[in-house]
Amino acid sequence: MKQRDDWHLTDALDYEHGRGDPFAAAVRATRMPMVITDPHQDDNPIVFCNVAFQELTGYDREEIIGKNCRFLQGPETDPASVALVRTAIEQGHDIDVDLLNYRKDGSIFWNALYLSPVRDAAGAIRFFFASQLNVTERVEAQQIINQQKALVEREVERRTADLRDALEAKTILLHEVDHRVKNNLTMIGSLLRLQARSIDDPAIVAKLDNMLERVDALAVVHRQLYQSEDIATFDIGLFAESLARDVIGSSGRVDIKLALRTRSLMVDSAHASALGLILNEILTNAIKHGFADGRSGTLALFTGEERGQGTIRICDDGPGMPATRRTKSIGAALITRLVRQVQAQVKWSDNAPGTCVTITFPKSETP
Amino acid sequence: MAAPMDVLIVEDEMIIAMDMEALIVDCGHEVVGAAVSLQEVEALPADLNPQLALVDLHLAQGSNGFEVCEHIKERWPEALIVFMTANVSKIPKDYSGAHGVIAKPFSHAGVVSALRYLSEGVFDPPPSVPRPSSLETSEHLRQRWRKD
Repeated sequence: MKQRDDWHLTDALDYEHGRGDPFAAAVRATRMPMVITDPHQDDNPIVFCNVAFQELTGYDREEIIGKNCRFLQGPETDPASVALVRTAIEQGHDIDVDLLNYRKDGSIFWNALYLSPVRDAAGAIRFFFASQLNVTERVEAQQIINQQKALVEREVERRTADLRDALEAKTILLHEVDHRVKNNLTMIGSLLRLQARSIDDPAIVAKLDNMLERVDALAVVHRQLYQSEDIATFDIGLFAESLARDVIGSSGRVDIKLALRTRSLMVDSAHASALGLILNEILTNAIKHGFADGRSGTLALFTGEERGQGTIRICDDGPGMPATRRTKSIGAALITRLVRQVQAQVKWSDNAPGTCVTITFPKSETP
Repeated sequence: MAAPMDVLIVEDEMIIAMDMEALIVDCGHEVVGAAVSLQEVEALPADLNPQLALVDLHLAQGSNGFEVCEHIKERWPEALIVFMTANVSKIPKDYSGAHGVIAKPFSHAGVVSALRYLSEGVFDPPPSVPRPSSLETSEHLRQRWRKD
């Protein structure tokens, strides 16, 4: 018991300067609030507290000594944190935990408690030493940060949900518009066919058929656009190939061979319809004139890149045709004007035998 | 030209139905009925026996092509059912028991070659011509024509 009474000696130090242990003097004088408890006494009471602890809690030494530390707890103190301290004491290890504590006047402060056992030479626990630090500002700052963070997260979540809804609405709208465009293109085709049926003059029927082919070409452009994942660019290479197959297929000409050297070639979607119509004019023209009067042969189609430009070349091996004769038809006018619209260039050349038409245009900026 | 088929058209858009009728007649087949809804298909005369039904998905009187497909399968189990729609993606993998689909907007050539392919399949399967790109067919139709 003698050793435990040593604390009373250090208590006396307060009054009798120069006596005892300089470490004890340091503990008394430090600004860090500290207490020592005695687990060998009933309910592990505080046996020592320094001035800083009294100032922090607002209690006098007489009110502190002999009490268990729980007298600082109050209704808002987290029981789980208190349980951590209790377990540490029972198991004899140290603990570092933030506790909400109450001063004598009822005000609260956040206490960064560090508690550790003090063992003797044999390893037996003699005391518990606890230091306290008022971290109210840090904890409150952290709480504000957490609240702000939660607020921001909620807001972000709400905005994300809004955007998701907007995107969904946009997608539904796009599908609806798509559907109407498809329906209208179908109806336009049907109307033209019905009209063509009632006309006896083969020249007029041929003109209506040309119109039908143009509408069909636009329909193919649209079908390819809405079936593609990417709505900003359009694969004119893929389109040229399927259009060439369609045009030869619908002409019923099994004697025209198709020589394909095509690869994917992306252009801006805004140019898809114009380029589609240009290709339709050139392809149908090649079939009608290059392979006129049942003359068989080969239609060659190249799509790719030449000198940094998108390039499509359509060649027939027919009789060839002077360029001046092309300018009379609406088809030639369409080509001339549409080519300008998409900043493309079109060139007719001799294929010896036959004619080559080469269209060059800027490639899409996006790869 | 293959033998003429008896064709049923189920389409609520009159202009498209008129065009289809003309195309079918031009190809030498016969249009035995035209309906705009499930209700009209149900009301068709009892002696009708179509070999091919061309069915739009969106129909009048709140009905749809899938309902018509069920009805046709029950009433004329032998008939081929081909959807004609701008919403190909709405058709399930098993075609709900139908046999094919022609995507709208369709071209004259596309419908003509699809009709030729189908009529060859009906009268002398499998068809001698390759399947045109305008017509997608179901797995069970390919099975059916293989077995025959």
